[in-house]
Amino acid sequence: MKRLISNLRPWAVLLLLAGSSAAALAQDDLGYLEEKAVLAAVKAVSPSVVRIQTVGGLESVASGQTKILIGTGPTTGVIVSPDGYIISSAFNFISKPSSILITLPDGSRAPARLIATDHSRQLTLLKVDAVALKLGELPVPTAATASDVEVGQWACALGRTFEGDSPNLSEGIVSAVRRIWGKAIQTDAKISPANYGGPLIDLHGRVMGILVPMSPQATSELAGVEWYDSGIGFAVPFDHVLRVVPTLKKGQDLHPGVMGISFKGNDQLAGSVEVGAVRAASPAADAGLKPGDQLVEVAGEKVERQMQVKHAIGPRYAGEEITVAVLRNKERKEFTLRLVDKLLPYQHPALGLLPLRTLNSKSAGVTVRHIFPESGAAKAGLKAGDVITALGETPIKNRDDLLEALLALKHGTTVAVTFQRDGKDQKADLALGDLPTVVPDSLPPARPAEELPAAAAKPEVGVLEDRKITEFENSYLVYVPQNYHPMQTYGLVVWLHEPGGYKTDELLALWRPVCDAQGLIFVAPKSSNTARWLPQETQFLRKMVDELISNYSIDPLRVIAAGYQAGGSMAFVLAQGQREVIRGAALIDAAPAGNLQENEPNFRVSYYFTNAEKSPRQKQIAAAVDRLTKAKFPVTLFPQGEKPHPLTEADCVHLARWIDTLDRL
Amino acid sequence: MSNHRTSLLLAVLLIVGGMTSAAQAGESFASAVREVSPKTVKIFGAGGFRGLESYQSGMLISAEGHILTAWSYVLDTNYITVILDDGRRFEEAKLLGADPRLELAVLKIDAKDLAHFDLSKAEKAEGGSRVLAFSNLYGVATGNEQVSVQHGVVATRTQLEARRGVYETSFRGQVYVLDAVTNNPGAAGGVLTDRRGHLLGMLGKELRNSMNNTWLNYAVPVDQMQQSVSDIIEGISRPVQLQDDRQKPELALNADLLGFALVPDVLERTPPFIDQVRSESPAAGAGLQPDDLVLFVNGRLVQSCKILIDELERIDRADPVKLTIIRQQELLEMELSLNSSATGTKP
Repeated sequence: MKRLISNLRPWAVLLLLAGSSAAALAQDDLGYLEEKAVLAAVKAVSPSVVRIQTVGGLESVASGQTKILIGTGPTTGVIVSPDGYIISSAFNFISKPSSILITLPDGSRAPARLIATDHSRQLTLLKVDAVALKLGELPVPTAATASDVEVGQWACALGRTFEGDSPNLSEGIVSAVRRIWGKAIQTDAKISPANYGGPLIDLHGRVMGILVPMSPQATSELAGVEWYDSGIGFAVPFDHVLRVVPTLKKGQDLHPGVMGISFKGNDQLAGSVEVGAVRAASPAADAGLKPGDQLVEVAGEKVERQMQVKHAIGPRYAGEEITVAVLRNKERKEFTLRLVDKLLPYQHPALGLLPLRTLNSKSAGVTVRHIFPESGAAKAGLKAGDVITALGETPIKNRDDLLEALLALKHGTTVAVTFQRDGKDQKADLALGDLPTVVPDSLPPARPAEELPAAAAKPEVGVLEDRKITEFENSYLVYVPQNYHPMQTYGLVVWLHEPGGYKTDELLALWRPVCDAQGLIFVAPKSSNTARWLPQETQFLRKMVDELISNYSIDPLRVIAAGYQAGGSMAFVLAQGQREVIRGAALIDAAPAGNLQENEPNFRVSYYFTNAEKSPRQKQIAAAVDRLTKAKFPVTLFPQGEKPHPLTEADCVHLARWIDTLDRL
Repeated sequence: MSNHRTSLLLAVLLIVGGMTSAAQAGESFASAVREVSPKTVKIFGAGGFRGLESYQSGMLISAEGHILTAWSYVLDTNYITVILDDGRRFEEAKLLGADPRLELAVLKIDAKDLAHFDLSKAEKAEGGSRVLAFSNLYGVATGNEQVSVQHGVVATRTQLEARRGVYETSFRGQVYVLDAVTNNPGAAGGVLTDRRGHLLGMLGKELRNSMNNTWLNYAVPVDQMQQSVSDIIEGISRPVQLQDDRQKPELALNADLLGFALVPDVLERTPPFIDQVRSESPAAGAGLQPDDLVLFVNGRLVQSCKILIDELERIDRADPVKLTIIRQQELLEMELSLNSSATGTKP
């Protein structure tokens, strides 16, 4: 070109350039320059891009209902410190391999150890022993700072999954920044297992981020893999990676932080930022946030919509301290709270006693009917017959007062109980424990021996067949004890039949004596298709229960659903979904179906399972008991011996006695 | 020319250059497309049922109508139809020959003076090179419609992993892995060129990479195919020998002969840990110990007991075997041989 200029007159050069062949030449040069720039950038970073291979490990990993096959091919990592630390995508290690092998760009190989994982960004830190390998200092690539990354600029994704000297590359641009709740750069370069763990670089040869599968909705290592090569891929900003490496180096896993509030309404875009509920025992609850508070500022960012709150919390880790400003009664209040990785399940605090079912109007305290052995109440020295008059500073008139006072207290703490014994006031410190799950062999009478005034009006009692609820085709059978009295409270048993329905005579022969003895009302609805219960039939069941509650005097704490096999599974669905009214589920040789909700202070749901050694459902039942127990639900397990069977008379008596304990405090 | 005038001139040059290139962006691709399109053909043959397409792509490689394409079931018929870029239709194209090892085939139609690629003048590309792919993907082009052109970048030039089962193809040579979704139904046999339209390779079939469960977009470089193509044209037949798929020797090695036992193979991918080493065996002589984890057999990664056993079965008893093992985070290499026990350990 230089010679050309010196040999030609200026106008000739101009003419030449203006011609179409010259235009093509210019375009060619642009393409050539692009190519050259990309290759130079790749060359600058590639010494820091390593190949990772694994030995052993799982073949497939469950992702929801489906299993995803995990490849055995090589994956990619990036050197983050000269002494041998390598960052990669957590996806590359979900198969839990027994051995990890690193191959450096020069071909030298080294075994590596997994040091720690960032579960918020899905990154895993590895370490090779550079000294033992005599590798010297490993090259750490230059980081592009967040402000260097602009939407629209060139971006190259590199991997080391193919044989050869140079990394495999995919070109694209930066599509967005601060994606996935502020955690990732988005690119349209093809991101897949061929480059997960590799770098996303700019044309200056600087690393913008580490490629990982991610999804805004889900949080597992597998989330976002289904988007591979779809024009949407993510990279965790490299300057952020370098900031967390020191923590990961200590072997400390990082987790996303949560504070434990939910909003009123769940429209993320339009929904208000008014606190709907505060999880018990969560950082938000400990800090003093309350339902009804209007969030104003979270972690230094002004918030008006739920999305903004998610954006402010999204990038934060468990253990980080943030400030939250709210408006409460038009007054600004600030709270400081420390985020946690997991909200502990709520556990109901209990005294460990049964109250006597006295008539509320008359009572001046709660009379103890029974003390559960080993409970807080037993250890504090309380006895049957004592009358509790205050819990801490709260005066107690009746059971509902006591129930409400307990809600304000925490499991594991100690509370002063004031009670009367032999006409004298006494005080004892009581350690609040678990809700008892042991069914006593026998219990004293539930009511004081007192004459009840004659009832003015009595609803229908006895066997009531073929009842219906308007708009529903299902019918139901009710049994109300003949001696029903509206001033007493009754338990309610919703019996959900197994496939095939039930025979009225047999059912009544079993339940009638138990209902008469224990003060239970029994209802047996029919599914519209006798072969099965449909989840949408919970609507009918709920209406049916509401109807019975409005007509009879039913104790809300003793409303349970029960069933054998498939009927038991439906009882579980009902207790999970209708916890406002159903407070217990008894599963007779039945495995639970559906999701498990969290235990909540306001809804005390208890579970009763029978399990038999040779039941085909034995393992599922044991797993469910374990899961419910971990979620801090009170679970009673009644071994049925070797073979599973429908309720016998004796079983029925045991079940009724469990229901009799459900008003425990 | 004074310095001032030079710099003024340069400024003008830069402005003009910038303007034209922006105004005419894509012009050079357009000229490449004009150059390449007449050399592409659309091929129709067997298939058309159960998700098997009855069409693919091809390229002219002689003025007399030799066509290079991918070897596939589409050609498994006496009625192969070739349609040129200008719409000329040739029924009953002749299948001159095929090389299953390279998955290529050569067809011949009766024609003269056709625009064509000269295989001997093909170019080479490396990772990062901009490329154009020409193919009749999804069979969208019919008659005299031009085949589709895609733009992409070479992701890398690599050797396909030779282990059987990784790729469902017998091809084991060098390929261009492409950063573009080129390998679609009907694209096999298509043309890969550089950004100026110079031939680089032939697009392969749809290929799943079982190493990471992704689709692989690739093309076979011309230099890999050249010999085979000219052999077919000249009518020379050479015995076909598949590359990997190393035949198992009649008398193969096994762990017992070498004097070690692996841990029980109870998992899907049981890591190949050594369970026992028999004294005075080749394994003992080489210093193999219980709890060693075998990583490589003759340089090939063994990710499970099954793969290790399979690898040993491919080694003749007369040959030594090199094991790379990991012991307490240290890599050790050792050579075991049935003939002379013990050949020592080196870190």
